[in-house]
Amino acid sequence: MSEFAVTAIGRDRPGIVAAVSGVLLALGGNIEDSRMAILRGHFAVMLIVELPAEASRGRLEAELEGVRERLGLEAVSVSEVERLEVGGNGASHVLTVYGADHPGIVHGVATVLADRGVNVTDLETRVTGGAEPVYVMVMEVALGELAADELSSALREAAEGLEVDVSLRPLEAEAL
Amino acid sequence: MSACGPWRPRRSEAGRPAAWAGPRLSVREILLYPDRRLKQVASPAQASEFDAIAVDLIETMRSFGHCVGIAAPQLGLMSRVVVVDVSGHPKAETSSGLLVLANPRIAERDGSKVGREGCLSLPDVTANVRRATRVVVEHAAGRVECEGFEARCVQHELDHLDGILFLDRVESLTDDVFRRRSYAPGPEGQSPTERGASAPRSKSRGSAASDPERTG
Repeated sequence: MSEFAVTAIGRDRPGIVAAVSGVLLALGGNIEDSRMAILRGHFAVMLIVELPAEASRGRLEAELEGVRERLGLEAVSVSEVERLEVGGNGASHVLTVYGADHPGIVHGVATVLADRGVNVTDLETRVTGGAEPVYVMVMEVALGELAADELSSALREAAEGLEVDVSLRPLEAEAL
Repeated sequence: MSACGPWRPRRSEAGRPAAWAGPRLSVREILLYPDRRLKQVASPAQASEFDAIAVDLIETMRSFGHCVGIAAPQLGLMSRVVVVDVSGHPKAETSSGLLVLANPRIAERDGSKVGREGCLSLPDVTANVRRATRVVVEHAAGRVECEGFEARCVQHELDHLDGILFLDRVESLTDDVFRRRSYAPGPEGQSPTERGASAPRSKSRGSAASDPERTG
């Protein structure tokens, strides 16, 4: 068995998931993990797939290239990846960042996190419509040993410079 | 809260709410984030200003049709006054009728439940927010007990008095965060629910059932 990271992106239309998963199934593959979403009208597919040893990477690439051409996708990629032990991702807090839209918000906040060894485990952003668009970013982060108060004050300082509002809260642990 | 619905389409080209029908000068514009006043802590309300602020809040709330709550800072009035009225709202199991709460304080809170919220001051975004299911609020004119939907609305409005928006209360990055967005038709003009490629999330998009709790 070997594992591959497969990504694809294309203008959203019906049939993308069916076509990509069809290729994988035909090769005896199993989708181990996936994330798919429409980003600004483009449907983005990210998945980790396990393929039997006899399935060739060359054939996987060729079949997916066929899908790319048939559906007019913008990009497809295949990379062999190391099989990793999967545990919890350690996410401990939710970080909400919002403010008038301008370049640099994601980087500014992410730098504060990276400098302190805080891992981003999930992230979504969106921009509202309207005359003055608002950028909203919600992240789940793993603080590890870092105290939440310490991170909060660093984030508040950065937020002032970025002219955004930030809230750091413990991750809701209760399963719903 | 929720029933304010998408408020911008209700406004005429003149910028007046559609329900505006005459010289109701008390109807005011709703401040939109990132207006900084929405992030400020409001001052205690003076008894002499209660009535005037309440009239503005009620008239503005009513002008949005099904709006069920609004807080003074959303009108740029930095006093601790909110109005809530969930009567007749389908999600309201119980209702205290029109509530005008000056200098309110939550004295008791019980239970907790996640519900989807939006806000007139932050259009196009919704998130799942956990709120107490029952609150007792002490205010200038007495004490009121609220449950369920009404309790959620009251907590959302009281947060406005402290410069707290519902985004500050998001507790997890669930699939429902951000999901209330209006999607343009696809290339073939199909409705979002017909897009197999993006299922299953798309299943709930655009359906009336997925409308979030929306409040002032």
